[in-house]
Amino acid sequence: MEKIHTTCVYCGCGCGLLLHVQDGKIVGTSPSPSHPMSQGRLCIKGWLGAEFVNHPDRLKTPLIRSGERLIKASWDNALETVASRFKDIKERYGPDSLAVLTSAKGTNEENYLLMKLARAGFGTNNVDHVARLCHAPTVAGLSYAFGSGAMTNPISSLSQAEVVLIIGSNTSEQHPLVAFHILRGKSNGAKIIVADPRKTQMADLADIHITPRLGTDIALINCLLNILIQEDLINRDFIAKRTTGFEAVSESVSHYTPEVAEKITGIPAGKLQEVARIFGSANSAAIVYAMGITQHTTGTDNVQALANLVMATGNVGREGTGIYPLRGHQNVQGSCDMGALPDLYCGYQKVIDARQKFETAWGRPLPQKPGLTAMEMMDAAIKGKIKAMLIVGENPVISFPDQEKIIKALKSLDFLAVMDIFPTQTADLADVVLPAASFAEKNGTFTSTERRIQMVRQALEPIGESRQEWEVISSLLSRFGVPADYASAADVMKEIAKLTPSYGGISHDRLGVCGLQWPCPSTDHPGTPVLHVEKFTAGLGKFRPVEHREPAELPDLEYPLLLTTGRSLYHFHTGTMTRRTSLLDREVPAAYVEMNPEDAGALGIRSGQKVIVESRRGQLQMDCRVTPDISQGTIFIPFHFNEACANVLTGQALDPTSKIPELKVTAARIRRAE
Amino acid sequence: MMKALLPRNMLIPFLSKISQKMEVIAPVLIQGTPAFCTWTGQDLALEENPLHPPTEFLLPHKETLFRYVQESGRYTFEEEQAVPRLILGIRPCDLRAANVLDRIFEQPPRDHHYLGRRRATLIAVLNCTKPDDGCLCTQFGSGPEAKDEYDLLITEIGPGYLVEAGSPAGILLLSDNPEFFHDATDAHLAEKSDLMKKASEQIKLHSDISLQKMKDRIKRADWESLEKECFNCGGCTFVCPVCHCFNILDLGIPDGERVRCRDTCILSGFSRLAGGANPRKSPGERMKNWYLDKFEYTPQKTGLAGCVGCGRCQKVCMAEIDRWKLEAVK
Repeated sequence: MEKIHTTCVYCGCGCGLLLHVQDGKIVGTSPSPSHPMSQGRLCIKGWLGAEFVNHPDRLKTPLIRSGERLIKASWDNALETVASRFKDIKERYGPDSLAVLTSAKGTNEENYLLMKLARAGFGTNNVDHVARLCHAPTVAGLSYAFGSGAMTNPISSLSQAEVVLIIGSNTSEQHPLVAFHILRGKSNGAKIIVADPRKTQMADLADIHITPRLGTDIALINCLLNILIQEDLINRDFIAKRTTGFEAVSESVSHYTPEVAEKITGIPAGKLQEVARIFGSANSAAIVYAMGITQHTTGTDNVQALANLVMATGNVGREGTGIYPLRGHQNVQGSCDMGALPDLYCGYQKVIDARQKFETAWGRPLPQKPGLTAMEMMDAAIKGKIKAMLIVGENPVISFPDQEKIIKALKSLDFLAVMDIFPTQTADLADVVLPAASFAEKNGTFTSTERRIQMVRQALEPIGESRQEWEVISSLLSRFGVPADYASAADVMKEIAKLTPSYGGISHDRLGVCGLQWPCPSTDHPGTPVLHVEKFTAGLGKFRPVEHREPAELPDLEYPLLLTTGRSLYHFHTGTMTRRTSLLDREVPAAYVEMNPEDAGALGIRSGQKVIVESRRGQLQMDCRVTPDISQGTIFIPFHFNEACANVLTGQALDPTSKIPELKVTAARIRRAE
Repeated sequence: MMKALLPRNMLIPFLSKISQKMEVIAPVLIQGTPAFCTWTGQDLALEENPLHPPTEFLLPHKETLFRYVQESGRYTFEEEQAVPRLILGIRPCDLRAANVLDRIFEQPPRDHHYLGRRRATLIAVLNCTKPDDGCLCTQFGSGPEAKDEYDLLITEIGPGYLVEAGSPAGILLLSDNPEFFHDATDAHLAEKSDLMKKASEQIKLHSDISLQKMKDRIKRADWESLEKECFNCGGCTFVCPVCHCFNILDLGIPDGERVRCRDTCILSGFSRLAGGANPRKSPGERMKNWYLDKFEYTPQKTGLAGCVGCGRCQKVCMAEIDRWKLEAVK
């Protein structure tokens, strides 16, 4: 038996783990005690982290569509088909008729090559990935405010905070190791405040739990800042020396008195004052947030509101302070870092500014116009403007809002190529399916939510005829006349380091067990655990006033409830991996809807009963779980389940800046199933 | 009983020779983390007991019980034979865990997959001369010194390794390979007993724990508060060398394999019945059951404590629940 030290494939925590390999199969997983963040601990998904790898459903050969069926094909044939169809369509409709969705489950190297393929190969900036549905508002919001759209501190810094405000994050279920560090702080006396419409485990353990009405975060945060200003609990010195634009914010939040905020959020004014005083009195306070902040039409503004709060209280640039966007996928941070975004190259270099640099490096003219975002691509596909797509390691049929529309978009394409490890609902619609190697079968790097670039080490040969994606993308690059003679993933990282200032000092042989936290500009640089220490990446921190806006869809007589969606502890995203892990699928085998006893009682619904949940876009049948842990008027559905896909119900209203869809708020209604 | 001294520089040559006849499992460093792996000449990491117990070589996390192959409507079944192995560096606590597993899997219906592997495995125990802070073996009579049930017992002393054979197979390992060994003297034996006494005293400092004291704690603990903290990661069960619950599934149609993989009583699905009823509905009840299994049920079933005092469950617990928290949370 061999054991290989690698990085977990599930959430953004980036835990270190050992894969146990016997006779070419993974037979076990165990935590790595030497890992600086996870310290010998794993969540249940991590402990069972590799069961899916040897699952018989794995895609083992390329497939090409022939009528209704996908038929086994050779790699040469499949790659040639992909290349020639993309070339044909490009010739006929222009490069911007092509689009690429990359994978937050892939490595940095793979994401870099895919964005290079889109830009240098296909000649379009139409490249995006699932960050559009999770932390696009963070990238936009924190980049504006601080100059860097990422977590400011290492996760372990949370155990040193005096106060942690958790807002819109089910931390112990979705980022268990982050919760571990928060609770370690709590056992040393830290105060925990949770703002969430659901009584999550963290809410239950918190000192204070407040339950804002869905989509009212700005009113809540602005009110907190207003109280802090009124009671002089802000850091005037920090504001004066390190930031700009405070006056306008001070003026704008002054309208959000506790009484006004109570009306909007439903949180009693006294409670808001209590929260503000605890937060403002701490020497070091930290803010942890996730999709509850970002997946709104006000996503970018929500993030700015939080940035305003931490800047006003001087809670940036020190241990125990900071702002902690918790990123969902193990490498969604890296995918953004690698420029799998329509307006940015790797290292967040703007397409409009840095094009020449990349044209020189890649020896090709590059497209000038920023491309379409993920949701816009789907819209453009329906309108016939996008004609061909390459989707790698992503399953938009389940994970994107408004399933019917997504299926329509993908069916409207002239050509769809999908690369994945399992047959997904998206792959079912593809013209060519390419089998990819899983995380256990390749080398490369993942960047965790704390900006830690870590090694992924190959434990097995790729299953069947599946191939490491960097090899596949390299062959596609060559077919598009872009030189791509990489010998290994390490070779790709060399190119990334040359073109990405924050990754300038990164090479595989430097990463070891602890990895390096970017920015790491040179080969002798030790990495940067805490950002914005002396000054913000952007120089001065930028305040910006933001105002409360109601969600795009509000409850009405027809649809009186608010549906919010999210994940279960036991599953990950579209369930491609966790639903093929026996214990996880046994634990939560089917979709369910959580509902408050008051709401359920009014409709005569009992726990365990089958119900029909409807929105303006569709309806689903599932079991009802009646629980006091969810606020009255709100219902919750996890989105992992193809049989009852929550995204049949959700809508596509977008945040105007970051183009994230409002997955967290949908007007809905429930009735008992006949 | 056969005793011999293996000079320090002879350990690797001795293992090299043995590894020609059987697979040698030993703790080695994987990126700085000690872990039991197939030994192929790497440096040994004998300083600390690896976080993951070596009982996975007796009861793997995941094993194929048999493969089924369908041909013309008839099924044939293929089973693999256990490979001969020597596990070097098992600590006395983990040896005791293996003894508990033996007693469980020997009970009818006898588990021939486990027992076949057990018969094919030789165990070379390493006595603990430098116990870890979390070690509690003395309190459960499972360490720091192994008394029996081993094939070889190794104690690191000044001049090298004192090696004692405890079974016919162990005696053969020594007598077939005399070129590596010197005679052990009374001074070597005296040094060993001195070291073991010191180690034992060091562990006994944690005198707050015993089977009876743990039973009392389980009775008094506030499980409703504890369950709020538990992350349901199952780590305590996955890292426990005595935990042995498994699930069985058939993977693949029409050909495939029947797989046995580890399970955990921390999950609700473990005790949930068809129809959804669950006799251990709350996480607190499940956690309490896990403790009861260690300190009540396993002693009743096997005559040995279900906890060997290795201290691993405390190290992996995300809620940092330990024996103190059982009392502290109110």
